[in-house]
Amino acid sequence: MTSPKKESRIKKLLEMPREITTNEPKITIVSFQEMLIENYKGVLEYENYYVRVNTYIGIMNINGFNLNLNQISSDDLIITGRITSIEIEEQEE
Amino acid sequence: MIIKKFLNYILGYLSITVEGYFVERFMNICISKKILLSNIKREKSTILHANIGITDFKEIKQVAKITKSKVKIIDKKGLPFLLKKYKKRKIFAIFLFLVCMTIFISSKFIWNIEITGETEIPQEEILEELKQCGLDIGKYKGSIDIKQIVSEIRLKRDDISWIGIDLEGTNVIVEVVDTREKPEIIDTNEYCNIVSNVEGVITKISVQNGTPLVKEGDMIKKGTVLVQGWMEGKYTGIRYVHASADIEAKVWYSQKAKVYKKQQENIRTGNEETKYTIKLNNFTINLWKTLSKFQNYDTIIESKKIKLFSNFYLPIEIVKNINYETEQQTITYGSEELKEKTQKQLEEKIESELKEGDIINKQINCEETSEYIEIEVIYEVLQNIGTKEKIVF
Repeated sequence: MTSPKKESRIKKLLEMPREITTNEPKITIVSFQEMLIENYKGVLEYENYYVRVNTYIGIMNINGFNLNLNQISSDDLIITGRITSIEIEEQEE
Repeated sequence: MIIKKFLNYILGYLSITVEGYFVERFMNICISKKILLSNIKREKSTILHANIGITDFKEIKQVAKITKSKVKIIDKKGLPFLLKKYKKRKIFAIFLFLVCMTIFISSKFIWNIEITGETEIPQEEILEELKQCGLDIGKYKGSIDIKQIVSEIRLKRDDISWIGIDLEGTNVIVEVVDTREKPEIIDTNEYCNIVSNVEGVITKISVQNGTPLVKEGDMIKKGTVLVQGWMEGKYTGIRYVHASADIEAKVWYSQKAKVYKKQQENIRTGNEETKYTIKLNNFTINLWKTLSKFQNYDTIIESKKIKLFSNFYLPIEIVKNINYETEQQTITYGSEELKEKTQKQLEEKIESELKEGDIINKQINCEETSEYIEIEVIYEVLQNIGTKEKIVF
């Protein structure tokens, strides 16, 4: 077993993207209209005005109007519509 | 995104509604089973719109059972459904296939030959020549060897200096360049005479080399030797030279015409009729009766080849015959009008013949009777004459 410190050093050296090597989510927002979440766990709640997404390090709440889940696959999720606010609930380990 | 939509369209997709209390759970199970959902919209708290692929629909039924929700198909979109719709229309499909095949097959043949380039050889002659070499309308494109045809024609015909054949679609473009006869240029080292090439009277002669046989004021005919290519000396004997001289002569050009005052002319009455015929290679279909209802008429034929694209000619030709009704009328011209008209025509004729020289005199002879007018136009022209002719021993 390599120590976590050593492991991260190797990854830094190789410049591997973090969303591939770890479970940490990557969130991309384009002009408040489109949002891409990679590495998510599941959709907890979905309404027209509210989306609650579970990730490996916490829960995200997205508020807005006319929110659609444009595409869902096991790795990524695209939300379109007017996004007004994003909240993050960090999980304590 | 456009590519993705296109792919979805080809594979086909269903737009469904899911009704139930655990819609989020339904979604999560779909994700874990790797069923792709797209364009998800929530209508009310219990209804969900989504698009899924055709093959995933069976699995979605199982998921619906687990989550105790109802699944309804609203719409079927995509190519597989469209094909299914046309499956029953077998004849339509067969004809579509046939049309595609005929277009494909006919694109392998030559349907039009176009001749370009500055040539005085008539087009029919070139087409005949091409036919003998194996290039003809209706030939299979694969069997044509352009290089061989080009070399064959160039061997056969001396009056074609260059020929280019381009295959473009079903269209063949043949470019022909004529050989121009060049005047024979005699090398300055060789011996030659100067010979007259026109009929006239010499006005000036200055010899640089050779012995002159004519002097100023002499009448000359075509072919008379003007300057001899040898010199005779008392002591040197006969010495051959390359004769050169500037010779100027008065030359007459004349044109004669006889015109009648009363002339019968066909004049169009303004009535016309058009008739179309369709021509399939060599087979003609008349859409109207070919006989005209007029007694006397001029016919003008226009033909047009049908083409699909810019270079894809089809072997169908539409021929348009326009018949103009004519009437014979006798017209009496005034003598002055007629004179002027014919004089102008004659002058144009002479001027097209004339290549060089200064016109010093113009003479018009006119003879008029009650029936006709005879006009002769004579041009007096000063010009340089003489062509070199090699001395053959």
